[in-house]
Amino acid sequence: MKQVLILIALFGCFTAAEAQNRFFTKTGKISFDATTSKSPENIDGINKNSTCVLDAQTGDIQFSVLMKGFEFDRALMMEHFNENYVESDKFPKTTFKGNIVNNSAINYTKDGSYPAKVKGKLSMHGETKEIETAGTITIKNGKVMVSATFPALLSDYKVGIPQLVADKVAKTAKITVDCTLDPLTK
Amino acid sequence: MNKKKKNLLLFVLAVFILASGTAFYAYKEFNRKAVDLSDATAAHKISATELINSFAANETESNAKYLSQIIEISGTLKKMDQDEKGNNILVLGDPDSMSSIRCSLDSLHSLQEPLKPGSPITVKGICTGFMADDLGIGSDVILTRCVPVQQ
Repeated sequence: MKQVLILIALFGCFTAAEAQNRFFTKTGKISFDATTSKSPENIDGINKNSTCVLDAQTGDIQFSVLMKGFEFDRALMMEHFNENYVESDKFPKTTFKGNIVNNSAINYTKDGSYPAKVKGKLSMHGETKEIETAGTITIKNGKVMVSATFPALLSDYKVGIPQLVADKVAKTAKITVDCTLDPLTK
Repeated sequence: MNKKKKNLLLFVLAVFILASGTAFYAYKEFNRKAVDLSDATAAHKISATELINSFAANETESNAKYLSQIIEISGTLKKMDQDEKGNNILVLGDPDSMSSIRCSLDSLHSLQEPLKPGSPITVKGICTGFMADDLGIGSDVILTRCVPVQQ
């Protein structure tokens, strides 16, 4: 009986310890900016419902974004974005699956700001490309803040820009990631 | 001569009206904002659990049916999330299930006082899609630009 109790207690410890290893958010912010110097207005949108899961043990990091969830200043820009550029009816979701290369250098239990190098696969508009970027991971009061900015070449993902507006939309969109992750307790 | 002049004047006037009409339309269209959903009619009225089950059973079919549509959802408020910028997100669904419907409120309609978890609520919003549970944190149907519906 005693052994069983010890086993249960041990098992409890393990699951408790494991729970601390994963962080997540469902309210992550991911935005893009495709403004050029010739653009008549800012071409940008923000998604405030991005999902992000980070495994502190392995450094695995995943993002998931619904393309229809991008918000724009102008309704017309939102329609063009969904219908003509990213074709969100056909490709509703963009995902990133990657790994923090220097994960061992990040101390998730100690407050501070750590540079992070992330490598992984970005799948958008039916195309998957290997990307690598530098970002920052900030630990504060048990929360993990993930931020990064990286370029995405639109032609890599077969996002076409009509000839008529070729010089008014940037060929490379600047993607900004800003997520605050809470520990996953389950 | 006089008639010719009159015709020309009429023609110029017509062109002018047409041009200004087009310009006005283009200007309005260019500056069009996203519609406020408080006066819009919902295309579908459905309970929170039904909508989750529909997406969980067949995502492609549900996407075709619900994406970009205004949906009125009634269910139990699981909790109210608030992000660092003060945007409210109402989480609807069965409190015992990991899956839920996440409705981010239109900032024009932010709540004066927080709602109590467990209370019944009806929300209108635009369906932006389904996040399947491939990350182990429950699956969600996402609605944006939501407004609470007074019963």
